[in-house]
Amino acid sequence: MKIVVIGAGQVGSTVVEALHDEHHMTVIDLDESRLTALAERFDVRVLAGNGASKRTLEEAGVRKAGLLIACTSRDEINIIASMFSKRISPQTKAVVRTTDEEYLEIWHERELDVDLVVSSERETALAVSRLIGVPAARQTDVFADGQVQIVEFDIDSGDRLRERAGKPLTEAALQAARQGERQHVIGLPLRQAQIPPNSKVASIIRGDTIVVPRGDEAIESGDRIIIIGSPEAAQAWSRIIAPTEGRVEDVVIYGAGHTGLATARVLLEQGIRVRIVEANRQQADKAAEELPGARVFHASGMDAEFIERERINKAQAAVFAMRDDAKNHYAATLVKLHGVPFTIAIVHDAHSVEVFERAGIDVALNPRLITAEEIVRFAHDPRTQQVAMLEGDRFEILDITVRPESKLLGRPFRDLPQTGALIGAIVREGRAVFPHGDDMLLPGDRVIVFTESKRVPIVEQAL
Amino acid sequence: LSRARLGVDLAATFNLVGTLVKYLSLAPLAPAAVAIGYGESPAPFLLATAIGFFGAWTIERLSYGKKHVGMREGFLVVSLTWLLAAAIGALPYWLTADAQFRNPIDCYFEAMSGFTTTGASIVTDVEGLPHGLAIWRQLTQWLGGMGIIVLALAVLPRLRVGGRQLLESELPGPEIEEMTLRIRDTAQRLWVLYIALTALMVAVLSVLAWTGLDSAMTFYDAVAHALTTMPTGGFSTRARSLEEFGPASQWAIAFFMTVAGANFALMYRAFFRRHPRVFVRDEEFRLYLSLLALGSAVLVVELWTEGVLRGEAAIRHSVVNAVSTMTTTGYASTDFNDWPLFAAIVLVALMFVGGSAGSTTGSIKVVRHLLLGRILGRELDQTVHPEAVARIHLNARAVDERILRAVASFVLLYVGVFALGAFLLALDAARVDSELRLLDAVAASATTLGNIGPAFGFAGPMGSFEPFSDVSKVVMIVLMWVGRLEIIPVAVLFTRNYWRT
Repeated sequence: MKIVVIGAGQVGSTVVEALHDEHHMTVIDLDESRLTALAERFDVRVLAGNGASKRTLEEAGVRKAGLLIACTSRDEINIIASMFSKRISPQTKAVVRTTDEEYLEIWHERELDVDLVVSSERETALAVSRLIGVPAARQTDVFADGQVQIVEFDIDSGDRLRERAGKPLTEAALQAARQGERQHVIGLPLRQAQIPPNSKVASIIRGDTIVVPRGDEAIESGDRIIIIGSPEAAQAWSRIIAPTEGRVEDVVIYGAGHTGLATARVLLEQGIRVRIVEANRQQADKAAEELPGARVFHASGMDAEFIERERINKAQAAVFAMRDDAKNHYAATLVKLHGVPFTIAIVHDAHSVEVFERAGIDVALNPRLITAEEIVRFAHDPRTQQVAMLEGDRFEILDITVRPESKLLGRPFRDLPQTGALIGAIVREGRAVFPHGDDMLLPGDRVIVFTESKRVPIVEQAL
Repeated sequence: LSRARLGVDLAATFNLVGTLVKYLSLAPLAPAAVAIGYGESPAPFLLATAIGFFGAWTIERLSYGKKHVGMREGFLVVSLTWLLAAAIGALPYWLTADAQFRNPIDCYFEAMSGFTTTGASIVTDVEGLPHGLAIWRQLTQWLGGMGIIVLALAVLPRLRVGGRQLLESELPGPEIEEMTLRIRDTAQRLWVLYIALTALMVAVLSVLAWTGLDSAMTFYDAVAHALTTMPTGGFSTRARSLEEFGPASQWAIAFFMTVAGANFALMYRAFFRRHPRVFVRDEEFRLYLSLLALGSAVLVVELWTEGVLRGEAAIRHSVVNAVSTMTTTGYASTDFNDWPLFAAIVLVALMFVGGSAGSTTGSIKVVRHLLLGRILGRELDQTVHPEAVARIHLNARAVDERILRAVASFVLLYVGVFALGAFLLALDAARVDSELRLLDAVAASATTLGNIGPAFGFAGPMGSFEPFSDVSKVVMIVLMWVGRLEIIPVAVLFTRNYWRT
């Protein structure tokens, strides 16, 4: 398929990185140096010019393209580009990135003639809420309307466990926490481990190596694991891995910008208590006006006295959504020092994600990567309903409808060939089924498949 | 103050007041027709129309030429129009040779009580009044309920007054939601709904009369009481208010009083736009109903346990009188003068509640209580949490800080004027050595300022305001006038900067 991408910034280059192997891509940007850098890394056609210009779009070949992705940082450019594209070639699908949730609402009201609108703020907010919903998770993706969850966990050592519990755990309490269900899962060969029902271990990542989770392998402390299962199973895993953390009911958000407000809105909808700390008076007023359910403080939130007095340290999780990465880093560290067990930072520079996580912030999220992921999902095989990427783009999770002529139909799961892909769930007549060895695929089934990115074409062919 | 430094355009003001009063003076023609129908003399009404029309026309001619009335003049227009309307209203009483209307202050009191929908009366023998005059009493309340200027805005095509000030001064309650419609459309909708509800009530009461469910009710009573229920007025054609009517009529009237105390804009949306859920979602409406229920329940418990009333009668009299008092109507289904002091104090407390904003009720109104509660809550919260930023929301929408200040000042002014009124009435009672107790003075001030009607003692629900001295009557006339216009339009006239350039 021919794809035209407008904007070679972080979102654009991430999208190109994920799609350039399988598709013919043309990238438009005003900045020639960015284009040069992109062309050096990937085999794509580049075109210097204004993406909102009809002539540039025609030159880029929108007429023959299957997909247009407008992902510059400016909403208006993206919308104008997609409008022109729809005029030049109505059959070309159009994806628009926006920073304003209003465009998303308008699109849902079918007032915007494009095929997908992705709001960075909304996607980031959803990512935060998924993390908070499953407290110990690094990343969560949902499929089949939330019936299937794919969750990435870090298996903490005792020290990490102690730290995340917020208050100093006594050795006895720690022992008890480790003993519970945890000892029946961690450190045992998988075939003996008491894994929560309706879930599967999809992958074990140990340092830089990937361990294929066969029956004789075991999950060890320090591993990172990926689970596919029902929401209840994801909660059960969360309890096993982090027994000291309950359901999060009290969240503090630093920063009342677009992302902070979007996050607050999503959390409030879930019945979670939200407090917002914002240093700018107007922003704080706006937050108080728009979110009747939230408690808003006009304060920098960077001083210990305020944190103690307003009991910020009693929150179960804190989200840092200020504009400045350095401020987010400092505030997250400070709040963590005061005892907030779970910190999520919104990091604007993609390169800083690692810095944040190494420095002890539990999760760092980059809105541009999240946005790119959402766009890539859409760009995949038209049969594919949803795609998620894990560990950068090392793994992909596919949601595919099985072709009627597939050779895998009608064979029990235990007889299927080992291809390095795992069928985590089957969506049959709208309901998720978690398959066992005796189950088999039927025509019309949708499957949630976990696989390494490089195997995606093979998997798609087999199904 | 010299003419050059006068900042208010008096000519334009008088011109508009003249026009408004000119049309209003046609109103006595309706009771003239009723008088003819009952074989009474229509002369007092025709004469009142003639005097009013000619006087107003003279004012209009003398100030002819300037048409523009700005926001500033609006306050004066509204205040003066209501004073003159009461004068027009007083003329038929004064011109009728009835022994109860010898004193011109009594006539003016009765008319002011009518237009402001108070329902306090100096009449001692209601059933002795001619039918024409009795209907005129009822009609003044009906005209004043939705507002005479609102009516003029709705029906007079030539009336293009500047700004929304006129409408807002006369409509009860703080304007929290911006009026997005044209003034004329708003006024027309309110009056259409008002007329429709009045007609419905006439129909319901007539059905009760014709089916024999209530033998005391007649078509005449049905019309008369519909005319004073929808404006939450409270004048009755019966000497003992609602007491003689059967339980069915009393319940029906309680229902319509409750309707009249709800927000008319909300009702318009619910009935004509078919969005009945607006009621459930409206915070003021929910609180309004809760307070009505609470007030009634407290009275039921008190009356039952004290052995005053029992069974259905206890519930009915509690509900009817609590609803009547809180919606500032002022009917009584029984003489609550005889109730225990506890119940009397509950009724006085209900006098300060009022109905919803945008209804025909007087007093402080539920939405102001709601907002004031939230303002106080926020103040207390910010004492403990100095960095907390909070906006006050109503129906999930942030309320403008200026409106909140206006609400707080209004409540303060209201309580201040009430206290001043009670003080003056008590002082005057001491001067003339009247039998007014302190609670009666308090109730009389609250009942006139809140446009409710009955007080306690000799001015109780079955009594009359006739025994008050002329000075006290003038004080109460001012209280009714100020209370109907919600104090502020009148109060600004007493500030120096209002008159200056």
